Amino acid sequence: MSNNPTVSAVEWFKSAAGLTISLAVIAALAATIDRGPYILVNTVVTGGMLSLVAMGLALVFGVMNIPMFAHGEYFMIGTLVAYYVFTPMNGYIDQHTGTLAAALLPLVAIIVAGLAGGVMGVLTEKLVFSNLRKRSRENWVMNSFLLTVGLSVVLINLHQLIFGTEFKGIVGYWRGAPLSIMDVFISRDRCMAFVLAAVMVTAFWLFMTYTRTGRAIRAVSQDETGALIVGIDLNGILLLTMSMSCALAAFAGASLLFMYPSYPSVGLEPLYMAWFVVILAGLGNVLGAVVGAFIVALLKVLTVEYIGSGWEFVVPSVLIIIILIFKPSGIFGSEVRGILDK
Amino acid sequence: MLLEVKKIDAGYGFLQILRKVSLEIDKGEYVCLVGPNGAGKSTTLKTIAGLIKPMAGEILFEGHPITGLPGNKVARRGISYVSEEMNLFVNMTVQENLYMGAYTVRDKKLQKERLDFVYNLFPRLAERRGQLAGTMSGGERKMLAIGRGMMSSPTLMLVDEPSFGLAPQLTETVFDSLEILRNSGVTIMLVEQNVTKTLEVTDRGYVLENGRIQLAGKSSDLASDPHVRKVFLGV
Ligand SMILES: Nc1ncnc2c1ncn2[C@@H]1O[C@H](COP(=O)(O)OP(=O)(O)OP(=O)(O)O)[C@@H](O)[C@H]1O
Ligand SMILES: [Mg+2]
Repeated sequence: MSNNPTVSAVEWFKSAAGLTISLAVIAALAATIDRGPYILVNTVVTGGMLSLVAMGLALVFGVMNIPMFAHGEYFMIGTLVAYYVFTPMNGYIDQHTGTLAAALLPLVAIIVAGLAGGVMGVLTEKLVFSNLRKRSRENWVMNSFLLTVGLSVVLINLHQLIFGTEFKGIVGYWRGAPLSIMDVFISRDRCMAFVLAAVMVTAFWLFMTYTRTGRAIRAVSQDETGALIVGIDLNGILLLTMSMSCALAAFAGASLLFMYPSYPSVGLEPLYMAWFVVILAGLGNVLGAVVGAFIVALLKVLTVEYIGSGWEFVVPSVLIIIILIFKPSGIFGSEVRGILDK
Repeated sequence: MLLEVKKIDAGYGFLQILRKVSLEIDKGEYVCLVGPNGAGKSTTLKTIAGLIKPMAGEILFEGHPITGLPGNKVARRGISYVSEEMNLFVNMTVQENLYMGAYTVRDKKLQKERLDFVYNLFPRLAERRGQLAGTMSGGERKMLAIGRGMMSSPTLMLVDEPSFGLAPQLTETVFDSLEILRNSGVTIMLVEQNVTKTLEVTDRGYVLENGRIQLAGKSSDLASDPHVRKVFLGV
């Protein structure tokens, strides 16, 4: 490592992370000049929401060593709860457009949905993972992975049985004309979705960095035994981690209800996208997931723009396969690489 | 008695390692546990620290049973365990690791006092306060693990092989720091490979072989015991 800032800056650009980020920024700018600012706007809005889902995924893997494949279902729960909370308020909002209540009620629906996701996370940890943990921690990654796949199937089918398969969607949360940003018209809901994502990511980052509990979560992700030794309530931290990451996913789902109407398997797309992100960023790397989310969002937007819609899963998948072959620890490296070696 | 371990059986899964291990430590004592590799010394400390649940037996600390309590609750009672593997937080700095050691201490002023105490004891840690624990040398990491263990002002410290892999000079530093700690009133239970040195500095000792306590007594007596001399000192 060098103390010389110019030299370390050059080193950073040469590193996998620096190279990818630089390339992404260049590609985004080039495409923006070529096709117009809406490329940038779309990337930022998609990336913001994707980062919420991906952050939770990275967190659950980093702290609990669970490769979570049911994460999309918490997104689905978010859409579902937001739908049932928001729909009854819809009429009231229509009659009172422009009032403070009309602006705040959507937030209520989204926050309630986020909290519901948190509660579901608590139930999941208590009913499923803590029982597996008590039984045996051998082959933990594989066993917990299989459990999450089962969980996903159960939740999807429960939705189908109880609420049916039809689309449960809304026209929009916030009334009013679209806002114009850089000559691009984007709906108020999209703007708000990005603002909410930005607020959540920032709040989450502050929480992880500056609070005692945030430090305890990081400690658990780095060394569980070490965490116990210094007096950290391990089970409490695991419960909180699962609950927080499910809440993030549900919050994301609820904020995007205007784009993703609720139906049983609505969570699959965000799940795959979020997995692209964490593989790209490095499993368990929570902050890397935020940057990765914007890169994957850009990739998606560019693919749709230049190759055509229908390809937006193919191109990232190919890229992920290439990354897994050449740089299995992800571009930003993982804080928890050791876990898989253990 | 500060710590009473009464006939504990413990092990890993179905594999039993400890067989009816009993030991006692009084407040302020400096006690060692020695034995050949694989005897179960670390297993004993882990069981006391709450990282392993004993299959049978009882552990009392300050007169209260702590048998089967999880590690974090044992730590909160005032038992600090410095493990063989150190279990540092590798992506945190030296100073962050030390502050994590004072996780149960909520008083900021007290935390700072402990930090100064540790930095005083190991000036090397103060020099490296901003370095990531994972990039430290083996000796520095040992110091950090011991330092982190002191941060909570424990009543009892369980220290597992602090001199393992250290150069002679660093070994001295580590033993000196334990001495200082002991003089500040902390009760210490030490597991060490360096039997000669350990029996010199401690008050009392237990000899563990094949998961059983074979001998117990004053360290000076143990040092001259024919069995100990034969097994550990090669004479
Ligand atoms: N996690 C584990 N799972 C299964 N067996 C273990 C585990 N840890 C230790 N053992 C076994 O328990 C026995 C006692 O181990 P322990 O670590 O307590 O010995 P020790 O006296 O500390 O030895 P050393 O001097 O080498 O540190 C050994 O036979 C060891 O192989
Ligand atoms: Mg040992």
